Order: sequence, then C-alpha cells, then structure tokens
Amino acid sequence: MTVAIRKIGRSKARSKRNFIKFYKVLTTVIGMKRFLGVVMLMMFLVGCSAENDATGKKEGVVVATTGHIADVIKEIGGDHLTVSALMGPGVDPHLYKATQSDLSKLEKAEVIFYNGLQLEGQMLDIFEQMSKDKTVLAVGDKLDKSKLLDSEDEGLLHDPHIWFNIDLWKQVVDAVAKTLVEEYPEFKDDFKANETAYLKKLDELQSYANKRISEIPDKQRILVTAHDAFNYFGESQGFEVRGLQGLSTEAEYGVKDVQEMVDFLVDNKIKAIFVESSVSDKAMKAVIEGAKQKGHDVAIGGELFSDAMGAEGTEEGTYVGMYQHNIDTIVDALK
Amino acid sequence: MNALTVENLSVAYDKKTVLENANVTVPTGRLTAIIGPNGAGKSTFLKAILNQLPNKVGKVEILGKLFDPKSLVVGYVPQRNAVDWDFPTNALDIVLMGRYGHTGLFKRPSKQDKLLAKEALESVGMQEFAERSIGQLSGGQQQRVFLARALAQNANIYFLDEPFAGVDAATEKTIIDILKSLRAQGKSIFVVHHDLQTVKEYFDYTILLNKTILASGNTEDVFTPEQLQETYGGKLFMMQDTIGAEVVC
Amino acid sequence: MLSGNLLWVLMGTMLLGIAAGITGTFSFLQKQSLVGDAAAHAALPGIALAFLLTGQKDLPILMLGAGITSALSVYCIQWIVSFSKMKADAAIGLVLTVFFGVGVVFLTVVNHSPLGNQSGLNNFIFGKAATMTKADLTWLFISATIIILVSLLFYKEWKVLIFDPVYAKGIGLPIEALKATLTVLIVMTIVTGIQSVGVILMSALLIIPAVSARLWTKKLSSMLVLSAAIGGLSGIVGTFVSATRSGLSTGPLIVLVAAAIFFISYLISPTGQINKFLRKKQFRKQGEIG
Repeated sequence: MTVAIRKIGRSKARSKRNFIKFYKVLTTVIGMKRFLGVVMLMMFLVGCSAENDATGKKEGVVVATTGHIADVIKEIGGDHLTVSALMGPGVDPHLYKATQSDLSKLEKAEVIFYNGLQLEGQMLDIFEQMSKDKTVLAVGDKLDKSKLLDSEDEGLLHDPHIWFNIDLWKQVVDAVAKTLVEEYPEFKDDFKANETAYLKKLDELQSYANKRISEIPDKQRILVTAHDAFNYFGESQGFEVRGLQGLSTEAEYGVKDVQEMVDFLVDNKIKAIFVESSVSDKAMKAVIEGAKQKGHDVAIGGELFSDAMGAEGTEEGTYVGMYQHNIDTIVDALK
Repeated sequence: MNALTVENLSVAYDKKTVLENANVTVPTGRLTAIIGPNGAGKSTFLKAILNQLPNKVGKVEILGKLFDPKSLVVGYVPQRNAVDWDFPTNALDIVLMGRYGHTGLFKRPSKQDKLLAKEALESVGMQEFAERSIGQLSGGQQQRVFLARALAQNANIYFLDEPFAGVDAATEKTIIDILKSLRAQGKSIFVVHHDLQTVKEYFDYTILLNKTILASGNTEDVFTPEQLQETYGGKLFMMQDTIGAEVVC
Repeated sequence: MLSGNLLWVLMGTMLLGIAAGITGTFSFLQKQSLVGDAAAHAALPGIALAFLLTGQKDLPILMLGAGITSALSVYCIQWIVSFSKMKADAAIGLVLTVFFGVGVVFLTVVNHSPLGNQSGLNNFIFGKAATMTKADLTWLFISATIIILVSLLFYKEWKVLIFDPVYAKGIGLPIEALKATLTVLIVMTIVTGIQSVGVILMSALLIIPAVSARLWTKKLSSMLVLSAAIGGLSGIVGTFVSATRSGLSTGPLIVLVAAAIFFISYLISPTGQINKFLRKKQFRKQGEIG
C-alpha cells in the first residue's frame, strides 16, 4: 500500500513538473501578453457558449422567486419558456438571501416575477435594481387590496401568503398571463389556452377541497401550524387558524407564546397540529410536550407545505399537487 | 550522595545555545550561590535542573535521583514576575499551595496541611497577614510569603531564583537567616544571586556561570578576583580593599 | 403557572447560568475571556458543517460539530501567537471573525438546501430558549453536573496554575493537561449554552457573572460560588421576564439581567463606587479635623 502511495506521489510530482515545463514553453514561445490574451479569449467564448446552452431551444427566459409562481408560469408558458425558481423546496422566502448565482440568474432573465407584499423580505433592493432593465412584476401588488388580509406584525402591511386563497390565486394567474402575453405576443394564443385550462384545474381543486373538508366536524376545523402562513387558507376554506410565530419566520417568539399555544391546544382539545416543510419543527414539538405534560395528547398531523412546495418532478412540486397534499394531510388528521 | 549532579547540560533557544556543556557537582548541606552576569543563563540553568525546559541535553540528578516531583519534593521560589497580583487569594492560601504536592490530585488539603502552612507563615514573620490579599502586600512581604510557601513543602532541597531582588534590608535579613537555619538542619539550598557584595557573607559554596559553568566549589576558593574576572569578562570593576566587587557595565 | 414549558426553560437557563459562572470564572482569571468569545462564535461553522455532512439535525451531532470547531479555534489562537509576531488580541480577532464568517457562509448553503430551514440552525445565532424540552434539559443537567464535578476535582490545581504558572510547573503539575481540561470544560459550556443564548451572546454569560462576583469577594472559593449564583439567577430572572409578554426572546433578556446585576454590583459592592465615594468623604472629613 505504501508502495502505491509512493508511486502516486512520484507521478503527481512528475505531472506537476511536466505542467510547469509546458506552461514555461507556452509563455516563452507565444510571449506572456499573447498568452494571457488567448486565455481571456477562450474564457469569453466558453462563457458565451454556456449562455447559449442555458437558453437552449426554448425562447423565453423567466425567473420567479417562489415555486408557486414558477409553477403558474410553467403551466401558462408551456414549451415556449424556460422557467426557474430561485427558492426551491424547503426554502424559507422570509429569510432568503440571494447569492451571486441567483443574481446572475436574475440578470439573464427576460422577465422576473415575485410574490411581493414583502414575502421576499431580504430581496427588495435587488428587484428594484432589476426593474430598470426588464419587466419585474410583484404578483401580490396586482391584487385588489380589499381582498388582502391585514397583518398585525409591524413591518408587514398585508399578509403575503396569498397562494392559499384559490380565488386570489386565480387572479394571480390572470396577471401573470397578461404580462407574459405582453412580453411574448407571438405566443398569445398558446398562453391564453393554457391559462384557461389551468383556471379550470384550480376550480376543480376548490371543489376537491370543499368535498374533503366537509369530512371534518365543525368543531375540529382548527388549523395550528408553526407560523401564520395559513390565514388565507383559513379564511377561504373555513378554518380557525393559529400559528406559533407571526406572519414572518423572522418574528421573535418566546416562552409566553409557547405557553399560550399550549393552553390553546388544551382548551380546545385539538387532536393534531402541523409542522411545515420550510420551518424548524422544534417549536411544535416543544408545544406538544407541553400539552402532554398538562394531560392532553396532541399528535403531529403531518407536514404541510407552507412557504415552499415539494420536490421538483413530484406531484407535490406543483401548486395543485401541493395544495391537495395539504388538504389531504389536514383532513386525514383532523376528521 | 550529592545534592546536585549536572553532566554535560546544554540548552538551546531558537537555534541559539544559551547553556553549553555545564558540569557541576555540589555536596549536600550547602548554601550555594549561582552567580554570573546578566544573560549568562542562570535562570535557564535553574529551569533546566527543575525539568521545566523540554529542549535540554545532558543529565541532571537531584539528591541522587532524576527529577520526579512525585517521588522527590523540591522546594521552589521562582522569580516573582509571572504572578497574577489581582488573583483573589490571601497569604495563607498561597502558603497552602506549597502543600499541594503532598495532598495529591483530587483531594482537599488536610488539617495537618493547614497547620504546617500556618507554621511556615509564622517562621517568616507574616502570620498577621494570613488573611491579607496578595495584592495588598509590599514586595518584601510578598517574597516572604513565597518563601513560606516553599518552606511548607518541607523539602530537603531548595531552589530560589533571585529571592533578594527588590526587597528591603529587613526582609533580606529574615530570608537569609531562614536559609541558614535550613542549612543547619542539613538541607541543601541553591540561590541564583545577583549581589556580589553579599556572596561571601551568605554562601559557603559558589557556582560561577556564564554560558557554561566556569568554576564551582567552596566560596573562599572560587570567589577570587581572577575567577570573577573570567566569569564577568572584563565587565567588573574591582575594589582593592573590599573582598567583594562591583559589576560595572 | 410554574409548569411544563416555562419550568423546563427556567431549569435549563439556570443550569446554564451556573455552569457558565463557574467556567467563566476560571477563564476570566486566566485573562482569556475574549478567547471564550472567539470559541463561542467558532461553534457556528461546526454546527452547519455537522448538518451538511450528516444530514442530521439531532442535537448530539450538531453539538459534536460545534465542540470540534470551538476547540479548534482555541488552539488556532495559541498557534498564531506562538508561531507569528501577532499578539493575542489580534489573533483572537482574526480567529473569531474568520470562523464566524465561514459559519455564516455554511449557513447560507444550508438555507438554500431543501432540508435546510427545517433544521432550525439559524436559531443558534441568537438562541432559542423558548423551545427547550425535557430532552434538552437532560443534556444540560449532565453537562452542568460534569462541569461542577470537574471544577471541584481540579480546583486547587487550577488555582495554582492560574495564579503562578512558573511555580505550578516547578512543583511538577501537568500544566498542559490541566489547561486542556479547562478548555474542554469551557467548550462544553459554550456548546450547551448556545442553544439558549446563541453564539453571539454566549461570551456575555461567561464574562459578566465572573466579573460581578469579583467585585464582592477576595477569595477564589467565594468567587466561584457567587459567580455560579449570579449566572443561575440571571437565567431564572431573564426567563421570567421573557415569559411576561409575547414575542420576547429569552437569551438576550438573560444577558440584560446579568448586565444589570453587574451594574448594581459596580455601585454597591464593598469595592464599588458608592463605597469608594463614602470613604473619600470620610477621608476628607478626617483631613479637615486632623
């Protein structure tokens, strides 16, 4: 074994020496300046072709922040658009800070969509900057303000979790479709057709929701989660909703909040509470232990998708699939 | 058995040889001065003997054995610089530290230990200051406490590093009287000493050190003008009528 | 009202305060309080790395990672001081910022991954005492017990080592082993404490109780007990205050309570400002009469 290692060491040394020889020859024969020029030219070409590869065969490049919005764009855009989401499954948009690679994605995009209403709290400056060169749309801003829920948190005017109200989401689909048609008028017909089909799917989703939720007795229609992401869900689907943290996962919470949650569970004899895919479950577990200590057993009903969706390529990776998963999980746990 | 046997001791710091090929044998029951100019390596010599320096070469035997704190108790009074004077401790506490070697790891000092500590404090005349914080004592008082600490160790051999530096005359007298009484009990004492004027008066054995041991033996034999000139390398100004000498830089 | 979650958090922060008070005292006397600060900040990359490498968010694994990078940072500081011309303060600053910076970078990677936010690693920056459960309490209890026991065992050896390192070496104490054990205890305290108060505020718990205790006593044994008591009290009072209103984080409040205790000590302790002032007045009066 040591012989092998020594051999590798020797050959590594040899290849290092060879490389140095090669480099020396190259620079002296061509001359240092010309060598650097060649290197830079190569990098430029490689960079360009890489860009071309990224845009590939599809024609439009659109970037969205959340998976929900990206899903809408994919449904409407079909084969005509390359869509990517900055925030994948399990990512918390309240806390998300953009990286260099995110910035380059945004640079290369032709259109940018984001949720707005301060969901992407750490990225607002970037959107402002990007809007100088291209169309940047905050879908939340396109909604009728009177339909939005107010926020009790300081720093947030409205509750940003609009995707849980299917009616509101249909309006978002509409706004997205309009913008895409403006940007890519050549695909107007396809976009319109896709939009109609998608809106139909959303209607079906709502019927499904109504049907399943009716399985839960009235008194049990209380949804308890890690943070206040489900107010729109509660309002539109008929649930009382409680979150431990406020509207943003940045919000501070302390012992008192935990205690109040425990008391709430015990007083209302809640059967199950829910953890979220993009938030730590430690708080929920602490609440459950607290309730247990007071003699009331609460189960974890399951994991809900709150600010993020499921893995790409799966059913839960689409808006409809995600919503359905949530409905099923909630109903099965509470009925 | 000799108090100290050193064979071919060499110590190097940062590629510089500080002590080279030191050889000396000192019989027991002597009060020995270790003298030499600044930078001669006296403190290094002491530290090397007490096994505090990892990069040493040569053999050192104390009371016939290699240095091992578990089997041989060595009384030690180091130079005072490294001490933390703001530390929350009082005089008695410090003297009690001298008993830690006897107490062993994981155990508390016994009543016997506390008694011995009190006695040691008394022998240096500091019993009234038992509860006084170390930072509130004068230089001479501090030195007496540290001597008491070494006494509490109840060793048969003692090493002191410049114990008279910065102390008043009264304290110096107290200390040297205690050292002489230790010698009377048959113990061996080694002192790194800086004041040439008092060597003949205090010490019966002398080691002359300057990067190596130039001479060692009874003070009257070794403490001569010629030997001193060689040790101090011409930095010495001799006074004819006194047997001592002054160092002039 | 003293039941369940509140009780667990109370006990947890009290135990943490006691442990931090004890190890913080030794650290303070060694004049290495800032090293503790660096070590606390250095726990962050360890936590993130442990999660990234194992995919597990179980506390023991995260704590192991935290302990490794924390201890590593302490040795880095020592190496830098030994082998370069840099002094301790610059070395500490360098190590603290580099380790913490790397930790933040790793955290960003975690936050961009699918299971990242579920792991709750972000809570280690400022701590999340509110979600302490019985399991966390068990760890804290074990840690605190070990810290107290080891401190009792090595009490006199550490006393000599810190007070007079040259003498300690001279009487043959195993200096390096003793120092290493103390470092291990400090790292242990940090690792268990950062869940409650976070990496940024942990050093406050190591420093403030010790400094406050020093103002009241001249003996090491009393200082240790007092420091532990102040630390524990800060934990309890801080938790109580955070339980009065919604949205109050426990960690920072504990630190604020500790700071308040220090401020009061600074004023009213025997060596404090008020007594100094009164003594001066007495002196002057005597001066006038005499």
